[in-house]
Amino acid sequence: MKLDEIRTKIDKIDRELLVLLQERMGLALRSTKFKDTISDPAREEALLSRAERLNLDLVERSFTRQLLETIIRESKRLQGEDRPLVAFQGEHGAYGEVASRRLMPAGAFIPCLEFVDVFRGVEEGYLDLGVVPVENSLEGAVTQVNDLLTTTDLKVIGETKIPVRHCLLATRGTDYREIRVVYSHPQALAQCRGFLMRNKLEPFPYYDTAGAAKMLARENPKATAAIASRLSAELYDLDVIKEGIEDGASNSTRFLLLSREAHPGPGEKTSIIFAVPHEAGKLYDVLRLFAEAGVNLTRIASMPLRSDPGNYSFFLDFEGSLHQPEIAALLERVRGLAIGLKVLGSYPADTSAG
Amino acid sequence: MKNLKLAARTTDARTLIPVGDITLGRDFVVMAGPCSVESEAQTLAAARAVKAAGADLLRGGAFKPRTSPYAFQGLGLEGLKILARAREATGLPIVTEVLDPRDVSWVAEFADILQIGTRNMQNFALLKEVGKASRPVLLKRGMYSTLEEWLNCAEYILSEGNPNVILCERGIRTFETYTRNTLDLSAVPAIKELTHLPIVVDPTHSTGRLSLIGPMSLAAVAAGADGLLIEVHPNPAEALCDADQALTPEMFRDLMARLRSLRAYLEPSTRPDGSPGRGIEETP
Repeated sequence: MKLDEIRTKIDKIDRELLVLLQERMGLALRSTKFKDTISDPAREEALLSRAERLNLDLVERSFTRQLLETIIRESKRLQGEDRPLVAFQGEHGAYGEVASRRLMPAGAFIPCLEFVDVFRGVEEGYLDLGVVPVENSLEGAVTQVNDLLTTTDLKVIGETKIPVRHCLLATRGTDYREIRVVYSHPQALAQCRGFLMRNKLEPFPYYDTAGAAKMLARENPKATAAIASRLSAELYDLDVIKEGIEDGASNSTRFLLLSREAHPGPGEKTSIIFAVPHEAGKLYDVLRLFAEAGVNLTRIASMPLRSDPGNYSFFLDFEGSLHQPEIAALLERVRGLAIGLKVLGSYPADTSAG
Repeated sequence: MKNLKLAARTTDARTLIPVGDITLGRDFVVMAGPCSVESEAQTLAAARAVKAAGADLLRGGAFKPRTSPYAFQGLGLEGLKILARAREATGLPIVTEVLDPRDVSWVAEFADILQIGTRNMQNFALLKEVGKASRPVLLKRGMYSTLEEWLNCAEYILSEGNPNVILCERGIRTFETYTRNTLDLSAVPAIKELTHLPIVVDPTHSTGRLSLIGPMSLAAVAAGADGLLIEVHPNPAEALCDADQALTPEMFRDLMARLRSLRAYLEPSTRPDGSPGRGIEETP
């Protein structure tokens, strides 16, 4: 190995160390939901002595102890900050984390494997808030999330629209002319198909956009790039070769912020889910109430009921708050017509252009 | 001229090339900006200055062909990103040079027009590659080339399927040493007789003398050129290349005003197809 190669490997290890440290801190924060006090001397001592038992000739025992003590100290400091744990689906750097950071800038962002983990974590109190995508401007409803919304007791307390700006990412120092292979989620690859073809790049499907970025940072394979968010580039120290490589008009995803408690303020927007009897004019009767009250609907979507596939749930978002008496009265009349009415909550509307 | 199956003029129809909200070959187009992209601040300052003076496109090199291998070679990919940000900030489409066939698809991702420099006019591998690109190509005349050789190079690009070639007269080597090259303005009407492709004039590299850029720009307009390619630097004294031939923003603004007067006087007779053309708009 020459000096250049050695340094490349050292850089890769440093990146890996930091990515792992980020994960460790996230786990430590999650542990606070299960214990009464931050400090647990017995656990700390067990951890330190286990590490010391490793017979590593270059990593001396005194150094191991010192290093882990530093990490534990920082971990306890973070735990003391009491940041709200905001769960999203995907790896760090996913568009869900981009949305989380916009909705809760002071949060600690916790990656979850599946959407259901986000819902259950918040419902059971292991996590404070959840951020989930409900609809994409190109792909339509995110069915898994909408399905989970029909059964959850969580409240919607916020929304945000995130523009999906795919970036071609590579580890620093990669010559863009040598890139041959691009990893990303199949949907992102499909959205960037023209770009990949023009530049003769071979798409390789991966489980997650941010996961592909993380893999690049940790393994640094030759001639390889990933498609993910700009946030992923910042988290994994990757170079943004080009931003906005999607083919079509830019698309955006709308995310909801979920909590066990309803939004404390009035809010300007409300989300509900309802079902109506399978009879002529029943849906119209409900929608007519909104029309007659002059309430503007911002989303209407239907989804088959899992429990009864011949029937549908309707997702309705509208302008107005449950705190307004006329809206409360309107919803009472809806309740009279519908088989089931679930009020997800009123929340501040995202008025940014997206 | 033989073998110009696609480049030769056979009817009065001229090639029209839409770029952003202008159309080359119909509108008189001024492409201006620094020789090379040196930094984001310098490029943005240049872009804003030329936009304010009424330029239609921003020029700037990210890959620089230099006589010496030790001279500044350009910022490469970083330069392309800066140009894209300048377009975002000003709305000016970008024309930039591509030197290497391996870079063509990448430069096309960032730029609106791909420039082939004078030294690469007969780099046939590069011509074939830009012939496959989805962007218009600005083909500079080789400094030792005849019109026939030049048009054959355009033919290379056209034959690969890219119909959008803009020719650029940038001066040829003669025995004269006072000027950097000799601007062959007779090429403008001659090219219009021979081909349907638009032709623009580069008064900067052809003269290499600041004092001659203005008069030659006016002469190019009078000769019927479809546009100009002019170097403008926000601070020429600090330019990393061609420092002694870039106009300051003030000089460029004055030149644009004189071009406007001349064009107002000449309209519509300078339009080859008799159309009034867009003319140069008043600066706000």
